[in-house]
Amino acid sequence: CALPPRAPDTAGQPYWNGRLALQIDGDKPQSFSAGFELRGAPQAGELSLYSPLGATLAQLRWAPGKAELQADGQRRQYPSIDALTEEATGTALPLPALFAWLDGKPAEVPGWQADLSRIADGRLSARRSQPLPTAELRIVLQQP
Amino acid sequence: DALDSLETFVKTVKSGRAAFTQTVTSPPRDGQAARSKTSSGTFAFQRPSRFRFDYTKPFEQTIVADGQTLWLHDVDLNQVTARKQADVLGSTPAALVAAAPDLAALRADFELKAAPDQDGLQWVEATPKARDGQLSAVRVGLKAGDKGPELAALEIADSFGQRSVLRFTQVEVNPTLPSSSFQFKPPAGADVLRQ
Repeated sequence: CALPPRAPDTAGQPYWNGRLALQIDGDKPQSFSAGFELRGAPQAGELSLYSPLGATLAQLRWAPGKAELQADGQRRQYPSIDALTEEATGTALPLPALFAWLDGKPAEVPGWQADLSRIADGRLSARRSQPLPTAELRIVLQQP
Repeated sequence: DALDSLETFVKTVKSGRAAFTQTVTSPPRDGQAARSKTSSGTFAFQRPSRFRFDYTKPFEQTIVADGQTLWLHDVDLNQVTARKQADVLGSTPAALVAAAPDLAALRADFELKAAPDQDGLQWVEATPKARDGQLSAVRVGLKAGDKGPELAALEIADSFGQRSVLRFTQVEVNPTLPSSSFQFKPPAGADVLRQ
């Protein structure tokens, strides 16, 4: 199948740019939507989140033994990538699997089900059935 | 000076319409070149506090402020988010400049200072008073139009060092805009999220 749009970073590392929408169900439904840039790799990388008008909302950085959130003028450390992504978006995101999904490759994550059928035109959706509350992540990638 | 022009603009230009291009440049990081993204569309405003951005490239996105609620419709994601306008106004500087009822309203959120002319425009530096906000500096560029000062450019630096430059062209001053142009009805089937 056609390769999904992925402009390799100048340092040859994966880099994706697009918009994400996160819907968290449950009795108090929550939602999060932002523009994003994802670079690096599951072991070490960076996720930047942007408001619709282009202002940077937050930057998440992770590396072995480090999970840092820069937002509201502060840098805070977190014990894990799950805790880091939960703080920034409202729920723990399966970042390692996301790198694979965005590359069009299936990756198993307990509780998550990804639909890669339209990844070639930059569309990804993934649903979490557990742990509760259920959640849905939708991504539209910017064609490079 | 530039501050007088801004005051005249805010006082005399009650509504406007223009095409815009927006270039967002993120700072270079560990050996990688600075990366910039360009988008474009149309912008319209009606004082006080109503405006809309209709992005057409590279993707379709509509942002409408009807005076109370800021609506954002991302067509690809088929999602509408609605936020109280007062909560998000700090992060939409273009709107502040365009939709502010008067200079005093602008001064409530920004320290205003005239800056030297550049690229044929008069510039006002607006430093946000809210320290923890996403914005670190805003510069408003005004052009001497045939009917008085016109909004020509906006430069916005956020606290991460990212720079967003909005350039306005085909500017219409005080067009009569139907009030419906600042109302937004979520399309059927889109999921609407209130935040």
